[in-house]
Amino acid sequence: MAVPPTETAVPGVLEPTALGPSAALGARFGRLRAIGGIWLPAFLVAAILFLCFLWPIIGPVPAPTGGSILNSNLPSFSPGHLFGTDINGNDEWSRLLYGGRASLEVSIAVTAIGLLLGGLLGAFAGYIGGWREGVIMRLFDVLIAFPALVLAVAIAERLGPGEVHTIWALSFFSVPALARIARAATLRVREQNYIVAAGLSGTGHTRMLLRHIMPNILPELMTFALLGMGIVIVLEGALSFLGLGIQAPTPSWGNMIASGQGLLSAQPKFVLLPSAALFITVVCFNLLGESLRARWSAQ
Amino acid sequence: MLRFLGRRLLLAIPVLWGVTFLTFLVINHLPGNAAQELLGINATPQQVHELSVQLGLDKPLLTRYVNWLHDLVTGSLGHSLASGQSVTSILGADLPVTFELVAFALLIALVFAVPTALLSARRPGGVFDRVAMVFSMAGLSIANYVLALILVYVFAVKLNWLPALGWVPPDHGFGTNIKYLIMPAVSIALSLLCFYTRQLRADLIQQLHGEDYVTTARAKGAGAWRVITRHALRNSVFGLITTVALNFGTLLGVTVIIEEIFGLPGIGHELLSAINQRDVPVVEGAVFVFALMVILANLIADLLYAALDPRVKYGSATN
Repeated sequence: MAVPPTETAVPGVLEPTALGPSAALGARFGRLRAIGGIWLPAFLVAAILFLCFLWPIIGPVPAPTGGSILNSNLPSFSPGHLFGTDINGNDEWSRLLYGGRASLEVSIAVTAIGLLLGGLLGAFAGYIGGWREGVIMRLFDVLIAFPALVLAVAIAERLGPGEVHTIWALSFFSVPALARIARAATLRVREQNYIVAAGLSGTGHTRMLLRHIMPNILPELMTFALLGMGIVIVLEGALSFLGLGIQAPTPSWGNMIASGQGLLSAQPKFVLLPSAALFITVVCFNLLGESLRARWSAQ
Repeated sequence: MLRFLGRRLLLAIPVLWGVTFLTFLVINHLPGNAAQELLGINATPQQVHELSVQLGLDKPLLTRYVNWLHDLVTGSLGHSLASGQSVTSILGADLPVTFELVAFALLIALVFAVPTALLSARRPGGVFDRVAMVFSMAGLSIANYVLALILVYVFAVKLNWLPALGWVPPDHGFGTNIKYLIMPAVSIALSLLCFYTRQLRADLIQQLHGEDYVTTARAKGAGAWRVITRHALRNSVFGLITTVALNFGTLLGVTVIIEEIFGLPGIGHELLSAINQRDVPVVEGAVFVFALMVILANLIADLLYAALDPRVKYGSATN
């Protein structure tokens, strides 16, 4: 992921690197820690998903837009408004939830596109080798060196800013990044006996790729995809922050932070609340990805 | 060595070409052009057309790109459509700002990352290590623009210690210059610092646990601290160099948003405003410089390998 993209955000976490062996701990304590290390962030991620996607439907959450100006700037803990209201009279808690929904939708979609397109192309390049590998990987080199900001501005101006277009713009990061990881993983499994055996028994390229290689590199890809989720959430925030992503009045954490910037000295909560939400979500995805990676590389 | 250098620079050309061509296509497909942006919304179509002809915007896309390439080969990046200044002089004025920002951020990150990683790797799972790992995970998860705003709130709004935005060149007093630079640099440095710490720590632990030379050093009676700083660190430095080089592109991307928040007149800021003005030569120039810097960073990393590790020889055998 380049530029702002590539570069922005948590730099280079997508690069495949082995995590060192963790310290020798007492067996029981280590087991407990390992379980906590995966289940705690997994539970938190589930809770965030529930709050952002289901709670606004089933719970008493007011609409995030169209509030009355008469209710503007209510303080936190006002009746019916947990975090008060913004200057337009919209409920801040509701804007946080709906904003999170937008951020999560974007990051899930971008990661899924990256896994599907990048994973398949990278695995194909690593498996087939030769000039086709060269062409595919050079193409991704160009995309990685291409300043994502130019692309994001272009997409925003050409198609109009919005959630779907943000997804397209950010996919230009996730596809090459995951393709590189898929290729590296494929190079590692390509020489394994079962691949050679499958090749000798006359398995075709498509079947080989889909039935033999993909299932074996998928765990590693999924782990990096989880770490990538955090990066995408931050990037989406950056685009919305620059006014190129999701547009007000539709809330997203990025545009909430950007609009709170002007009120920073008077009412820092408009920056701090969405920032905290962004931070907690990214921490959870990073923790989950890290502990999966640690477990996976220990095997 | 020279052959290796030449080969690497040759390989960089297609990537540079692809990046600039793609940028050209993308910017030229945006609605509106520089003439429209310069004249504003009240201009008549006639005026816009005349200025377009004057600026050479009516020529076909490929002709303009080939002209740009031709200029590039002769060492010129063309002239800004908005101000008429040469792009080289515009970028020449911006480059020191971005360069100082990036260098300062890298310096902060490395100065803190190396000792932290050494102390952590000395006793993995110890108190220091655990605290460092918790903090580095938290630091990795803070978006740089969030950190920038929090720093502004604390140090500029509440404490009034540092200026919230602006830029003073170093020749107007180095102290003042640093005062304006410190918050932008820290905003960029924190996530880098955390990332480098984690990478270096993992690498050091791997070296300390699995390598024969560590056993040898211990057997000859070298102390734990000496083994880790003189033996393990020297080998782990290569991983760190790779990480820094690979992240360089990301780092440059981050400067765009940070320069925007703090009002620094660097290349990122120039790029954003040039995109908005459809000032194609300036966008092309900035993108070209960004891509060139990323490629050079990777090349320097490879050369540093050779300088630091006597086993690495670049030439016909390894490449």
